[in-house]
Amino acid sequence: MTTQPQAQILALGELTEGLRAVVDFTISAQQMQQFAELSGDFNPLHTDAAFARSKGFEGAVVYGALMVAKVSQLIGMQLPGRNSVWASVALDFRKPLYVDQAAQAEGVVEEASDSTGMVVLKLTVRAAGKVLAKGRAEVIVGHA
Amino acid sequence: MDIDAIYTQLTAIFHDVFDDESIVVTPELTADDVDEWDSLAHIRLVLAIEKKFGLKFSAAEVGRLKNVGEFVSLIQSKAK
Repeated sequence: MTTQPQAQILALGELTEGLRAVVDFTISAQQMQQFAELSGDFNPLHTDAAFARSKGFEGAVVYGALMVAKVSQLIGMQLPGRNSVWASVALDFRKPLYVDQAAQAEGVVEEASDSTGMVVLKLTVRAAGKVLAKGRAEVIVGHA
Repeated sequence: MDIDAIYTQLTAIFHDVFDDESIVVTPELTADDVDEWDSLAHIRLVLAIEKKFGLKFSAAEVGRLKNVGEFVSLIQSKAK
């Protein structure tokens, strides 16, 4: 049996405004192929680097959903971690992320409400010092 | 805080949260009167009210509210 990574456990009282967490990641060609099969999205913009270059990109463009997947890791494993569930996520994609390009998903607590257990996170995905995507997530934090 | 001003601000919040300009916010209004007023909408409503009025409520204070009129009374007591 393989050992799974353990999610951090942050209580509502610890989620103060400005608290930040990051996930560093790089999407590989293999992960792109796995996602293409999972989603059924074989758009050549994501699967064919030559085609993507013919459309003005530098190479195959990483699926936006894979950036959302890393946001899922950020929320589910770190901020707030185990005792939380998403209520919403919105992400605007501004620049492309490319396969094998190092990137970082960041979450910062914008609001935390004791009365409702709702935490609002400001989300930013960056690569090479540039903002690729920005957005926000609503997360409900339950009891430990 | 003036009660009419509270209702004016609450009306704007309700219209925004439920994306419905037809909602008339009265003291008697409850979740039963608004189709989309479910638990998540309730959380968003409370959060928006906390933000708009610059107040923080406790879970117990919010949990015992029976209608909008009681919420307005809570806002008034906290905003003093």
